[in-house]
Amino acid sequence: MPSNKTLNAVWKGVKSFFTFWKDFLVGDSPVLALGVIVILCVAYLLRGSAVLAPISTIILVLVLITFAVWQKTRARCPKPTINTNKEAKTRA
Amino acid sequence: MIDQSAVLLFITVALASAVEATEALTIILASGITRGWRSTFEGALLALACLAVIVGVAGTALILYVPLYALRIVVGTLLLIFGLQWLTKAILRQTGFKAPHDERDIYDKEVATLSTGKKGILQGQRDSLAFAISFKGVLLEGMEVVMIVISFGLANGSQDQLGTAALAALVAVAVMTAIGAVVAKPLTKVPENYMKLGVGNLLTVFGLFWMGEGVGVQWPLGDVFLLILLAIIFLATLGLIAYFKRVHESQTEVKP
Repeated sequence: MPSNKTLNAVWKGVKSFFTFWKDFLVGDSPVLALGVIVILCVAYLLRGSAVLAPISTIILVLVLITFAVWQKTRARCPKPTINTNKEAKTRA
Repeated sequence: MIDQSAVLLFITVALASAVEATEALTIILASGITRGWRSTFEGALLALACLAVIVGVAGTALILYVPLYALRIVVGTLLLIFGLQWLTKAILRQTGFKAPHDERDIYDKEVATLSTGKKGILQGQRDSLAFAISFKGVLLEGMEVVMIVISFGLANGSQDQLGTAALAALVAVAVMTAIGAVVAKPLTKVPENYMKLGVGNLLTVFGLFWMGEGVGVQWPLGDVFLLILLAIIFLATLGLIAYFKRVHESQTEVKP
């Protein structure tokens, strides 16, 4: 039987292996990874149509990149400050 | 006649590799100048050897044992994710929502970190910190290049294309290393942000194209459609940059 120490080391190794690949593939934009999977499914479902499949996948990629950028810009924009009574009094 | 997609492939892999090589070079320079060159070079060389083994073993094994359609689905999906990640960051940098990538700043931070570490190394022995930093830096930056090389190399299921992709990466890394060796300081003049924008576009286009082919989408005009896709994604990128630049300006505008 392997000791607890060995098991812990193995568990730590497995955990860091998966964390590395998660960070590597998903990074800080899970929406992109999920979006690409959705596009893959749509492309698979529409593969029989010579017109619909190319057009819909291109449109979905454009929508995804726009959404991802919009989401990041919202996360980075400063929140508006609320002018509370206390602040108003201090200024006065 | 030169195959258009092979030329695009070479340019994409070379550009992506040049960007990652510039970043790895900054870490190597910071480590070499602060802690000494011997251990830094040993770490970098070991990482390069690991990366070469991964390309050789994984690339060849995948070509031999995995069906082409499955390779294209996996490769296309990975490239599309990478491409969109690069593109998103590049657009955010171009519009001012994210600070541009600054090699000088990264270099200064690395030097500060490495200077505080205890040296305590006798002459002739390995500096474990320099070795580890250099190994980790080259391996992590190189891993993305490896994924791109393998993906591009496998997309048509031939070892020739894997060779072309590996050659493009080697040429780019050799050029950046030579420039780095001559200049001996971080390559701040390399237009990394623009290169990332270009590579993001190309990875997205190839990713979408191969992922589509893998699941059975019939692209009109065959490989020529790659150029049309490139034009569509490029124009969309320009449009997004113009729009979000205005958004950023309106947010940062000082109101009287």
